Amino acid sequence: MAFQNRNRFCYFKENGITEIDYKDVKLLRRFVNDQGKIIPRRVTGSSAKMHRKLVRAIKRSRSIALMPYVERGLE
Amino acid sequence: MSFYETLYIVDPNLENNALEKIMDEIGKELAKTKSKIINHRIWGKKRLAYQIDRQKYGSYIILQFEGGGNQDKMNEYDIWMRLNNSILRHITVSLKQKPELYVEDNNAGSKDSEESTNQDVSENKEVQTSDSEKEKDSNTKEENTEPKEDE
Repeated sequence: MAFQNRNRFCYFKENGITEIDYKDVKLLRRFVNDQGKIIPRRVTGSSAKMHRKLVRAIKRSRSIALMPYVERGLE
Repeated sequence: MSFYETLYIVDPNLENNALEKIMDEIGKELAKTKSKIINHRIWGKKRLAYQIDRQKYGSYIILQFEGGGNQDKMNEYDIWMRLNNSILRHITVSLKQKPELYVEDNNAGSKDSEESTNQDVSENKEVQTSDSEKEKDSNTKEENTEPKEDE
């Protein structure tokens, strides 16, 4: 029953986003936790198709130093 | 024809002339692949998510072009980019649609100016507060001094 109440929807479908740009750090930051890890699909609720695109975009932006591979929480 | 985009990072401490030189060199190198350059512009100086060659900041440059269809030449271009010491990092990505021509005035008005105006506003606020504080101080001083004169 708890699962029925949980509000899960695909962020990209709601906002009509079909392509994810790896330069759009503001958007990608939403799908990464404070350690810089990609949040799983079962938590974010995004569709499988868009999650694949999201992962590709995040990994690209990591390689060009727009997003961190690892972020230390406290320093 | 397919369209591609190269995003590369250059040392931020370089002067504008040196930056333009590097951009020219890269444009010439890309011309060898018979690709047509659509956009070649500076995206801006940004903080790197992690240090590259002990650099904390980098100036990002976007290069969008139409592919010439010669794969070997593209590999040579990629290797040349990797061996170029003035480029910290680069990535080439294929685009699904033809990129729009970048017009400086319009796009500068949309994103960059917003950030700059926000900064300006905050700075102005600081200035105003400091001014008002000074005014208050001066007012209080005047109040203090005036009765003395009367006496």
